[in-house]
Amino acid sequence: MQMNPLPDSVRPAVTAKALHPVILVGCGAVSRLFYQPTITELSRRKEARLVAAVDPVASARHPLIERFPQAAGVASLEQVDAPEGSLAIIASPPRFHAEHTREALARGWHVLCEKPMAATAADCADMTRAAEAANRVLAVGLYKRFFPTSGYLRQLCQGRTLGRLQSFDLQEGGPFNWPAASPSFFNRRETPGGVLLDIGVHVLDLLLWWLGDPASFDYADDAMGGLETNAVLKLRYDGGATGRVHLSRDWATRQRYHFEFENGTVEWTVNQANALTVRLNGLPASLQGTLVNEARVPALTNPQCFIAQLQNVLAAARGEETVRVTGRDGERITRFLSSCYANRRLLDQPWLEPAEAARARQLSAAS
Amino acid sequence: MKIAVIGAGGFIGNRLVEQLHLGSSHAVVPIVRKPWRLALPARFDLEWRLGDALDAVSLAKALAGCDAVIHAALGDPRQIEAMPTALTMAAAAAGIRRVVYLSTASVHGQAPAPGTTETTPLHTSHAMDYNNAKVRAEQGFFHEVARHRLEGFALRPGVVFGPRSRWITDLAQDLRLGQAWLLNGGSGICNSIYVDNLGSAVLSALTAPAAAAGPYLVGDAETITWRDFHHAIALGLGLDPSDIADIDRLPSFKRSVSAKVRRVVASPGVQSLLPFIPGGLKRTTKQFIAATQAAPSPNAWRLPAAPAPRITEELALLQQCAWKFPHQPATDRLGYRPHVSFKEAIARSLAWFAFAEGRA
Repeated sequence: MQMNPLPDSVRPAVTAKALHPVILVGCGAVSRLFYQPTITELSRRKEARLVAAVDPVASARHPLIERFPQAAGVASLEQVDAPEGSLAIIASPPRFHAEHTREALARGWHVLCEKPMAATAADCADMTRAAEAANRVLAVGLYKRFFPTSGYLRQLCQGRTLGRLQSFDLQEGGPFNWPAASPSFFNRRETPGGVLLDIGVHVLDLLLWWLGDPASFDYADDAMGGLETNAVLKLRYDGGATGRVHLSRDWATRQRYHFEFENGTVEWTVNQANALTVRLNGLPASLQGTLVNEARVPALTNPQCFIAQLQNVLAAARGEETVRVTGRDGERITRFLSSCYANRRLLDQPWLEPAEAARARQLSAAS
Repeated sequence: MKIAVIGAGGFIGNRLVEQLHLGSSHAVVPIVRKPWRLALPARFDLEWRLGDALDAVSLAKALAGCDAVIHAALGDPRQIEAMPTALTMAAAAAGIRRVVYLSTASVHGQAPAPGTTETTPLHTSHAMDYNNAKVRAEQGFFHEVARHRLEGFALRPGVVFGPRSRWITDLAQDLRLGQAWLLNGGSGICNSIYVDNLGSAVLSALTAPAAAAGPYLVGDAETITWRDFHHAIALGLGLDPSDIADIDRLPSFKRSVSAKVRRVVASPGVQSLLPFIPGGLKRTTKQFIAATQAAPSPNAWRLPAAPAPRITEELALLQQCAWKFPHQPATDRLGYRPHVSFKEAIARSLAWFAFAEGRA
């Protein structure tokens, strides 16, 4: 991902004295594509420095150590030499998140844990308790909360600017192309969920943040003994709003969130951090544009929001800000995800032969 | 039998995995080249494997323990030509005798001469590189099959459509944008085959007697015109088929400079020389090609153009087809029966499309 430097007006750079030690745990695709340019930018701004890259696979560590030669490349957390108060970014495979988070907290480090926070709500609660006991920050990597559009939509959903929210239709995903180094992403014994656990975590986080818990929901996916690649979630809220979420790793969705309010509609293209399309009822056309501040400065872009997330966690570690996405938030999302899986049913697939559909139902029910 | 499907992440490969796992007593082993192609096969609790269809060693490892292999991998023309060698070498190394290779009816061209059958000699003078590559690939396949003493079946389907097919999604888009078209009322023959019918043909080839090995044309039971195909999709989408543009003349398909250069560069002879060409010369050539492709500056004093038919060379050739490929040899020697009617096939395809678009 190409990351543009943050405009210095966003947050003034702190002095070199505040250069915060950061440990990157897990050197897979998310570390290479997102955290490497983020830490590069925060190093340039003298806000953070990478002190260690941790991964059992030396070839995975190599690109990061090449980029940050002052950092130590080590195979395990216990080999890291970093002072208390450092920040550990847990970007290891999800099944290690809970273990690595607890280990980092025990060393007196603050933690930013990549999504999904953990496999179960109980693990999330345990991680949060450990952070509270250690008096350390525990944040969850759900950077779409930092999108200016996310905040804008939250205000629309919770306020009355466009009237009451009536319905929404969220479609996100497309053919899977994440450059995962190993097939563990698709191994049910190593990864507890499919598309819902992957991109669905972001969607559910935003929905819970915008609208709170739904009064009821219906969840269906196409796992037939393995991991789902298509998922459909239908929600109903107190007050009457209804919604549909369609996630896919299979086929290109519209990559669009569509909201119907009493007085207009709003459309958001997935991953557009600072642009929206708004249509006011009664007017002949939609307005499509970039969010800007009073001085007409465009709001943060997608990569800049990823950087802003790390800045928020570092500021929280210094006691200057509160964490935007907390361990409690992660726990709430995980609990809702677990409810979806616990109540799942097989998606209707009327394009299958009747005998195949019956067999699919058997496999789905048995899993 | 334990059956390997190479290219299990694609449109046809995925459907074969579904058919084998959900509708047969065979065990299926999906094989893909990269981990991220596992999204569809991983919906099942299957023993999937990684294997490169261009690398016989990697493929042989992936085929270990299998009794038969189906090859449904895609690629560019160079890859298409190289794959049969890797496939047959790997099958032989893994001790597999039965090999089913997905060829195409396009080895006869998109608009074959009336009377064309499996026995019609193939040539490599087709307008489209894909056709020529598939001809060479199929010929290479049978040559290698004979060398390794395998039982090789090559199936030649025409227009394969169904869930996740571009023939459904691209046409739907063209219809909605007013870019769909029919030549002379759409009277040309669409040699369609619903993907489930192709799956039936593959299953038949897997269990046919070894003496039946060879190439087979396969298709749907009905003779379908392009008018039938376009109208069925339009009606299924709630669109008026009479809005489809009817044309009586096709444009000429002159290759652009860059396309000509790409074609020359892709040829095996030039590929073998590329390592010896200086980097500076390569860069200059690329810059020259890019310059010839520069889009003209928009004219502010122009109104947006009305939608025009989107005429591709492939579809232009296909719509000139006047011959329904017979599949009697497949019926007689393999026991092939296209069990899904065209009407049902369209209904299933549209049901999937409605789901994919979030309308169901």
